Amino acid sequence: MPDNFQRVSPLADIAIQGRFGADHGAPGVTLSVRHPVLIATVIARKGKAKALADALKSWRGATVQWAGAEQYFLLDKPFDEVRKKLEGLASCSDQSHGRVIIRIEGPKVRQVLCKGTPVDLHESGFEIGKSALTQMAHVGVHLTRVGRDAFELSVFRGFSESFWEWLTEKAEEFGYQVI
Amino acid sequence: MTGFRLDKGGLIDRKAPLYFTFDGRAFTGFAGDTLASALISNDVHLMGRSFKYHRPRGVISAGSSEPNALVELREGARKEANTRATMIELHDGLVAKSQNHWPSLEFDIGALNSLASAMFVAGFYYKTFMWPKSFWEKIYEPIIRKAAGLGNASKEADPDKYEKAYAHCDLLVVGSGPAGLIAALMAARSGARIILADESSTLGGSLLNENEEIGGMSGHAWAIGVIGELGSKSNVTLMPRTTIFGWYDDNIFGAVERVNDHVLEPSPYEPRQRYWRIMAKRAVMATGAEERPIVFGGNDVPGVMTAGALRTYANRYAAAAGKSVVVFTNNNSGYRTARDMNAHGVHVEVIIDSRKEPNVDAGGVPVIRGGAIVNVRGGKRVSGVELADHRMIPCDAVAMSGGWSPIVNLMCHRGAKPKWDERIAGFVPPDVGDRFVAAGSAAGRMLLSECLADGARAGTLKGKTPAIPKCRDEAFAVTPLWWVKESTGKAFVDYQNDSTAKDLPLAAQEGYRDIELAKRYTTAGMATDQGKLGNVNAIAILAEATGRTMDQVGTTTFRPYYTPVSFGAIAGPFVGHHFQPVRKTPLHDWADELGAVFVETGLWMRSSWFPQAGEDWLASASREVLATRERVGLCDVSTLGKIDVQGKDAAEFLNRLYCNTFSTLDVGKARYGLMLREDGIVFDDGTTSRLAADHFLMTTTTANAARVMSHMEFCHQAHWPELDVQYVSVTEQWAQMAIAGPKARATLQKIVDKVTLDDTGFPYLAAKEISILGGMTARLFRISFSGEHAYELAVPADYGNLVARSIMQAGEEFGITPYGIEALSIMRIEKGHVAGGELNGTTTAGDLGLGKMMSSKKDYIGRMMAAREGLTDKNRQCVVGIRPFDAADKIRAGSHILKKEDAPSMAADQGYISSVAWSPMLNMWLGLALLSNGRERHGEVVKIFDGVRKIHMFGVICDPMQYDRENKKLHA
Amino acid sequence: MLIKCPHCGTRPVEEFTFNGDASIQRPTSNDPATMDQWFDYVYLRDNPKGRFDEYAHHSSGCRAWLVVTRDTQTHEIFNVVTARDYAKKRVAS
Ligand SMILES: [Zn+2]
Repeated sequence: MPDNFQRVSPLADIAIQGRFGADHGAPGVTLSVRHPVLIATVIARKGKAKALADALKSWRGATVQWAGAEQYFLLDKPFDEVRKKLEGLASCSDQSHGRVIIRIEGPKVRQVLCKGTPVDLHESGFEIGKSALTQMAHVGVHLTRVGRDAFELSVFRGFSESFWEWLTEKAEEFGYQVI
Repeated sequence: MTGFRLDKGGLIDRKAPLYFTFDGRAFTGFAGDTLASALISNDVHLMGRSFKYHRPRGVISAGSSEPNALVELREGARKEANTRATMIELHDGLVAKSQNHWPSLEFDIGALNSLASAMFVAGFYYKTFMWPKSFWEKIYEPIIRKAAGLGNASKEADPDKYEKAYAHCDLLVVGSGPAGLIAALMAARSGARIILADESSTLGGSLLNENEEIGGMSGHAWAIGVIGELGSKSNVTLMPRTTIFGWYDDNIFGAVERVNDHVLEPSPYEPRQRYWRIMAKRAVMATGAEERPIVFGGNDVPGVMTAGALRTYANRYAAAAGKSVVVFTNNNSGYRTARDMNAHGVHVEVIIDSRKEPNVDAGGVPVIRGGAIVNVRGGKRVSGVELADHRMIPCDAVAMSGGWSPIVNLMCHRGAKPKWDERIAGFVPPDVGDRFVAAGSAAGRMLLSECLADGARAGTLKGKTPAIPKCRDEAFAVTPLWWVKESTGKAFVDYQNDSTAKDLPLAAQEGYRDIELAKRYTTAGMATDQGKLGNVNAIAILAEATGRTMDQVGTTTFRPYYTPVSFGAIAGPFVGHHFQPVRKTPLHDWADELGAVFVETGLWMRSSWFPQAGEDWLASASREVLATRERVGLCDVSTLGKIDVQGKDAAEFLNRLYCNTFSTLDVGKARYGLMLREDGIVFDDGTTSRLAADHFLMTTTTANAARVMSHMEFCHQAHWPELDVQYVSVTEQWAQMAIAGPKARATLQKIVDKVTLDDTGFPYLAAKEISILGGMTARLFRISFSGEHAYELAVPADYGNLVARSIMQAGEEFGITPYGIEALSIMRIEKGHVAGGELNGTTTAGDLGLGKMMSSKKDYIGRMMAAREGLTDKNRQCVVGIRPFDAADKIRAGSHILKKEDAPSMAADQGYISSVAWSPMLNMWLGLALLSNGRERHGEVVKIFDGVRKIHMFGVICDPMQYDRENKKLHA
Repeated sequence: MLIKCPHCGTRPVEEFTFNGDASIQRPTSNDPATMDQWFDYVYLRDNPKGRFDEYAHHSSGCRAWLVVTRDTQTHEIFNVVTARDYAKKRVAS
C-alpha cells in the first residue's frame, strides 16, 4: 500500500522532546518513539517452526524478535512482502499500527526497567538481541535488548500513553532526555 | 541534668549541627544522630506513654526492636505515626511529637489507668466487655480505641511517591555486621552478583556500636575498609536503609528501601520508599542478635535500657544516657557496658550480676554477685534501684542484660520453627537448606572470631574458605534469669502492650497454656514491635508456670513483616491516576474534538455521548439515536476484541469454539457467532468474518476480549494441539467505526474507491478488504448492531482520526452525527439485541432466543452440558421485551417481575429486568427482561416491583424486538 | 514462588493464572450415555495434598498454557511442561 497518508503516532503529542527530571549531569536514560514502524506477527504453521526460523534467519534487512513459542515480531518489512515471503510457513498479521515501540537507552536503563519487570536483564543472561514478554505497571510489554544499555519496549497502542507516563516517571530520578 | 553529649568520640559529625523539635521544643543534634540519640544527649528521656497504663516511657533499645520510643514524625500530610525514634535519622528541620497521651506527655490523665491496674489484668477486655453485644461496637470499643491508641495517622493524602522494583542476585546478605560483611566480601571477590542490605543508615552493624578489634585495627576501621572494597565492585549492590522484611517461596525476599525518609522532603523526582522483591539464588542471614531485658520491678522507668543500647549510645553517638549507671546483668554483656562507660568517663556505680560466680573483668567497677533489682525508683526518670536485700542505690540510668536472642525471624517465615539452645540461652534458627543459611550471632555464634569464620564460610560460594583476620574475642557466658520474682514494682515483659510478668501465669491458670493463645490473651508479643524484646522472656515465664521446657512451649509464629511496612510502600506507584493503566482507542482524539464524554469500560475509555450545549446525557443520547435512525451516525467500536485466526484448521477450530458452524461460511462473508462455556452457559458473542479459506477475523465483546483469547489458547493447547491453527489479537491494529442509518451507504460511498455499495456490490453480511480515500486499504463489514442499514469500517489505527474526520465530512450533507455507547445501547435494546445484561453468566443460548444456533452436527465447547435437563427446562427465564403498562411510567433495570396479582416474595418471583432504555423512537421507557417461560407470555400484563425504591407498577411483556420488527431498515 | 516457563525462563508466580487439575481430560464423546463423564470433567475436582499437576497460563508472558507439577504442601515444583506436550503425551500413553 502506498504510504501517502500521514501516520500519526499515539504519542505524537505526548513524547515531547527535551530534558526532564533530575537535571544534574548527563541524562540517565534517553527515550525515543520509533514511529512509523513496520511490525508483523508471524506464527509458524504446524510443523513449520524450523523452516520458519531458517527463513527468518537468512532474510536480509528484516529485524526478527522472538515473541513466544514459534512466534516472532518481524520488523522493517512491508506486510505484503512478509506475507508473500512466508506463505505456507507462517500465519502473518500486520501489527504496524497496533503496537508502539519505545526505545530506552543509557547508563541507568536497567535501574529504570527493574521498576517494572521481574525479568533479570543482567547482561550475563540477557544478551543483545534477546527478547522477553513481560508485564510492567500492569501493561504487557515485549522487550528486546538492542544494545548493551539499550532496549526496545513494545506495547499495545492503546496503552502507550499510560505506559509512557509511567516509564518517564520512573526515569525522573536519573534525569531523562526525549529525542 | 543527667543525659549529656560526651566531649569526644562517636560517629557523629560535630561540624554539622542539626536543628529539630520534639513536642514543640527546639533542640540541636549532629549529623549521624538518630532522634533517640539526639534526645538523650539533650537530656530528654521521656519519649512516650505506654499503651494501656499510659506509663512514662523512655528509649529501651538502640535499634528497630524499640517498643517504647514511638513518635509521630513530621507534620501535616507527611505525618507518620508510630515511628521508632531509634531508627529516625536526624535531619535539619525534623519535627516529632510524642503520642498516646492527653493532655501532654508530662501530665497524662490516662496514667490513672495504672492506679486501676488490678482491673487491667490479662484478658481484661474479653472479660469485661462481653455483654451486651451491641455495647461493644457502640460504646466500649470507641472508648478503648481513644484511650489506648498509638499515634494518629494523617488524614491528608500522602504527597510522596512510592515505587516497586525487582532485583536479582547470586547472594543476598542480610545484615552488615562482621558476619555479613565478610560473607559479602568473600562472595564478591569470586565475581558473583551480591546484594548487601542493612536496615541501618550506615553499614557496619555491631561494629559501629562496639569496641572491637579486627586485623590489628578497630572493628569500625576494618568495616570501612571492607565496605570500601565492596563499594568499588560492579558486581556488588550495597543497600543501606533497606529492611529485608520477609522470606518467601523460592528464595524471594521482600524489602523496603527508605530512600528519602532521612530528609525533610524528598526530591520531586525520587520516591520516599521503594518496595523490593529480591530473587536470590542464595542468601545469608547475618541479622545478629537482640539483647533481652530482664523482667524486674520498674524495668520500664525512663533511664532503664538494655546494656548494649546504653553503650551504643555512648560509643556510636557520643550520647551518655546518665551520669551514674547501675548495671544489672545475667551475662557478660553488662561488664562490657561498664568498661565502655568507664572509658567514656561515665561513672558506673555497680554491676549487679545475678550469677553467683561470674568470671569477668569488671574494669574496677564493684560487682554484687547473686544480686537482683526488685524495683526501680523514679517516675519519669530513674532515681535509684532497690535490691532484693533492701539496699537502695541511687543512680540515673540502669543498663540491663538478660542475654542475647539470635534474630531468627526471616528463616522462620516459611513455617520452620527455631530450636532452643541451652548453651547460649536463646532460640537458634532452623536448618532450611543451603540456599538460605544463618551466619554469626544470628546463628548463635557469640564470639567475634566465630562470627567472622561463619560469615566467611557462608560467603564462600565455591572452593576453600579463605583465612579470616585475627580479632579480639569477648567471652560469652550466660546463666538465665528471666524474672525477679521478689519484684515490688510492676515488672514488664512486653513494654508496648504493658504485659507484666504476672499476666502470663494468670493466662496459663485460665487455660491459655499454648503460647499462641497466651499471646492473644495477654497481648504480649503483639503490635508494632511484635515482641522482639519480650517474647523469649514471655516464653520462659510461661514455661516455668506450666512446668515445660522452652522447646515444649516454643515460639509464636514468625510472619512477615519483620518491622512495619507503610501502606504507601505496599501500594507503590499504583494509586490515584496510576491505579490502573488507561487504554485509549485510535479514535480518542476525534471523539475528544467533538466534545465526547468518556466512560471507563474495563481499562478502555469509550466515548459515551457527545453533548451539545445544555444537553444532559439522556438528551444527548436521544438526539444521537434520532439522528442515526433518521439520517446517519458514526460510532467508535474499536474496543471490540479482534482476533486473527489463520491456518489450515482455522474453520475447524472455530466450529469447536462456537456453538454454530463456521466451516460453511463463504469467503467475504460475516456471521454472528455464539460461544458457550463448557458448562453450557453462554460465554461470548460477536461476528466473525472469513477473509480467506484459511483466514478468519473473529470479533468478541469488549469486556471478554482477553478472556476469549485465553480460552482459545487453552482449548487449542490443552484439548486440540493437533489443529493447525494460529491466532493473535489484532484489536489494536484497527480503528473501527460503525456507520449506521438510512444515509450510511450514501455517506460511505463518497469515500470508498471502486466498490458500489449496493446489495449486489456489497450485500448484507459482506466482509471484504476494500480501498478508501483513493488508496488506503481498509476492511468493510456490512453488519448492524443498531438495526439500521449499517457498516463497520476498519482502518489501520494510525489513520483512524483522519478517516473518522473524512467520514464526518462526507456525511455532513446528510446530517451525520457522532454517537456514543449510550445511544448504541438504546438502539440495541429497541432492537432486542442481547448484551452484557443478558450475557450475564447465567443464561443459555435458549434463554437468549438463540437456541437454534446450537449445531447438532459437531462437537463444540458446552454442547453436552447445554443439553442438561435444568438448562433446557421450559420454565427457565428467557429474554423478553418489557414496557410499562402506563407509557408515562419509568421502569428500572433490576426490578423484579411478578404475576400481576401477586405480592412480592421470593416464591412469587418470575424474573427481572436486565436492561432498560428511554426509547426516543417509541417515546417511552422499554427494556429487556429475563422471565420464566417468557416466550409464551408475550402480551401478558405483569407487576414490576422495584425493591430498592419499594414501588411497583404494571408492565406488558412483548417480543424483545420492539422497534422496526420487520427489519425493514436493516435491509433498506 | 517462581515458575520456570519452558519458553520464557524463570518468572514469578504473579505472571501466571491458574486453571486447576490438568490430569482430567475432556471427554470426546457426545453420546448422552457419557453424561456422567462430562459431569465429572466439568465439576468434580480433587484437592490433593502433595503432588499435583496444575494448568498454569503464562498470561503476562508468552501466553503458553503450561502444566506445573508441584507439591501443594511445600510449593516445591517438580516439573513444568507445556500443556501441548502434556496433551500429546497423554494421547500417546
Ligand atoms: Zn512463558
